[in-house]
Amino acid sequence: MINLVILVFVGGALGAMAREFLMLGVPDLSDGFPMAILVANVVAAFLLAVVTGLHKRRAVSDDVNTLVGTGIMGGLSTFSSFVYGAVVLMTASASGAAVAILYVLVSLVLGYGAVLLGLKLGERGTPEQR
Amino acid sequence: MRPLDVMWVGIGGGFGSLLRWWIGRVVGERYHGSFPLATFLINISGAFVIGYLSVLFSVDWRDRFGSVLNAGVLTGILGGYTTFSSMQLDAAKLAGSGRGQLALGYMLLSVAVGLIAAALGAALARLQG
Repeated sequence: MINLVILVFVGGALGAMAREFLMLGVPDLSDGFPMAILVANVVAAFLLAVVTGLHKRRAVSDDVNTLVGTGIMGGLSTFSSFVYGAVVLMTASASGAAVAILYVLVSLVLGYGAVLLGLKLGERGTPEQR
Repeated sequence: MRPLDVMWVGIGGGFGSLLRWWIGRVVGERYHGSFPLATFLINISGAFVIGYLSVLFSVDWRDRFGSVLNAGVLTGILGGYTTFSSMQLDAAKLAGSGRGQLALGYMLLSVAVGLIAAALGAALARLQG
């Protein structure tokens, strides 16, 4: 139990710090489109799906799955900043509302596509591993 | 950005992730339906709190470093607590098991209720303001 607590805490801390660096390094687009959060969420969705696929076929242990999937990817991705950013854009101006709707739709579609691709890659073993 | 901010983000992210993990376990023990209820409740409550705290402490939502509140609570705890990736993975799993409508409904409901929760949190803070 304490092992799991440590794995989730350390993973979540690493993921959140990675997200902070993304927010510092990836500028928003000129129309206010929150590009950093989009990148964090789509990358996390992809890697979470890869780890889930690997774990499903026992290529990674339960502990790695908890550290990377529950911890790092959970910490890297965020729903609170995702929706609050959209609300701020929406209430700012009419053009902001259009950007917000685009942001939400692009996030969902890219995130979903990233998950499908990640699962496919993670579940597919190389012949030597089978 | 100072090294101290990175530390606060890390500590907050760790505790937020633990809270998410713990709520997932507690809800998982009591609820056995196919709707991803734990992640839904986590994301909606996190959206409400970020809206509330951001307005209460007049934090511009892009300015997320420089204080314990910004770095530790908003970027750290709430970012670690809520999750976008699990929502997408749960939806894909539902769709993969033939529940495509539930998957789509879950995603749309999460986003719609999440937007409303964030706006309500902000409105509540303004009322108090």
